[in-house]
Amino acid sequence: MSTAADDLAFAGAARQASLIREKRISPVELVTTYLDRIGRLDGRLRAFITVCSESALAEAERAQAEAATGAWRGPLHGIPFAVKDQLDTAGILTTSGSALLKGNVPSEDSTVVAKLRAAGGILMGKLNLTEFALGGTLRFPYGQPRNPWNPEHDPGGSSSGSGIAAAAALCSLTLGEDTGGSVRSPASYCGAVGLRPTWGRVSRHGCFPAAWSMDQVGPLTRTVEDTALVLALIAGYDAKDPTTSRRAVPDYRAALAAGVKGLRIAVITELVDGADTQAEVREGVREAARGLATLGARLEDISLPLIPHAGGVFMALCDSEAAGRHKLWLATRPEEYDVGTRRRLVAAGLIPAVPLHRAARARALIREQILEALGKFDLLLAPTSPHPAPAITFHTAPVTGKEEAARRFFGRRSYTTPASLAGVPAISVPCGFTAAGLPIALQLMGRPFAESTVLAAAGAWENAAGLVGRRPPLAAS
Amino acid sequence: MADLGPDDVLRLAASLSLPLNGEDATEIAHRLNAFLDALAALDALPLERVELWPTRPDGYA
Repeated sequence: MSTAADDLAFAGAARQASLIREKRISPVELVTTYLDRIGRLDGRLRAFITVCSESALAEAERAQAEAATGAWRGPLHGIPFAVKDQLDTAGILTTSGSALLKGNVPSEDSTVVAKLRAAGGILMGKLNLTEFALGGTLRFPYGQPRNPWNPEHDPGGSSSGSGIAAAAALCSLTLGEDTGGSVRSPASYCGAVGLRPTWGRVSRHGCFPAAWSMDQVGPLTRTVEDTALVLALIAGYDAKDPTTSRRAVPDYRAALAAGVKGLRIAVITELVDGADTQAEVREGVREAARGLATLGARLEDISLPLIPHAGGVFMALCDSEAAGRHKLWLATRPEEYDVGTRRRLVAAGLIPAVPLHRAARARALIREQILEALGKFDLLLAPTSPHPAPAITFHTAPVTGKEEAARRFFGRRSYTTPASLAGVPAISVPCGFTAAGLPIALQLMGRPFAESTVLAAAGAWENAAGLVGRRPPLAAS
Repeated sequence: MADLGPDDVLRLAASLSLPLNGEDATEIAHRLNAFLDALAALDALPLERVELWPTRPDGYA
């Protein structure tokens, strides 16, 4: 049964912000609601590494006092948010999910955290992740994160806690970081909305790097509107991150009204109909494509034959970048890494230079193929993942041979890494559920800096699908 | 190309001053062989046709 407190917790951040402005709820009420939910649910879900109870309540009281006098800080005044523990927070433990950083307390906020605070947001805490945002962690040093739709299943990664906290309504909105799918994968598995922005759209200052040439910070929320709201606040040039673009930041929420009518959308056959794609996912995504056509989009199938190479190419490039960064710690503190992370990093560190250079050239080819397709179409459509959330035990089984290693580590990554390799924006939005009750998701990729189009199409689908408001059983009262 | 075994991995890792145990070496050999196979398959692509231009946030047309 739904209670008023649950209804408030599951409401979108944009809606909650309106309620605060209208003085129908208070920031203290909202923070207290989430602290209560975290207390009841997070012992099992393990979304949080650190909960900032005292500071969140103090900030809520201050926001409430300011609201009483009409002093509004910004669009998130009094809205509780939480961020992946890969993002620096001044005076607050920031572990990147690793025991190696168990005592790391930064002196400065990351740029994205500073921007959300400046907009009036209240930091509720730091969210769990796979170690160093790399994926494949076998033993989580800060607790095993669990999927709120079925706690025996994986919540996705690397932004695991961000997906859980958004889907289970443990805060109003979250931030993750996406190198090869680390925002989109947990969004897909947990039934949330997750956006990877164009490379260069959002500052990475204060974000522990996974792979510098692909890392991007992005929102995970319960609605497309909230993702648009957050992106508008965190996007833009930052002198502290020289890779950020000076392009103007559009009003992404206003852009939602454009909808999907007249957009040309290409369905990537290698991903929708590929042998790795489970039947329920294929049917759900095809059904969503038909829904978008009903809304006025023009749908066509497209073959992008380089896409199946994307997973292996991405892993070689991402992991070798990461192995370079971790070389000193791998040599001097190897036992402090999770065994899965250590093996992943060392394997990539041993790839010879010539094959690695081949991967870099293949990346350029894949990027060229994607950008050519986006020259003819406004959006590319695919499943976010070939399957729903697997059981947690899937990841802990031993690796028994090279064929199994390729299937396990490269195959599914070919679904999310094309956007990463090309540097284009991509969103994951729920498109249904399996018979077993696990979420499945649609992915839309757009042209560089065309987040407005991506969000407008995702929003139109979300409105038509009527999936907003479904609550994970574990997170319901 | 012949697959690498755990002993090969231990020697390669030692050359980079990376301490490894035997259990790690066995799985790393599987992972490394998977990488080498996947990257060898790229030889069939027209890799010389493209330039390796750097990713630039404003470099898109």
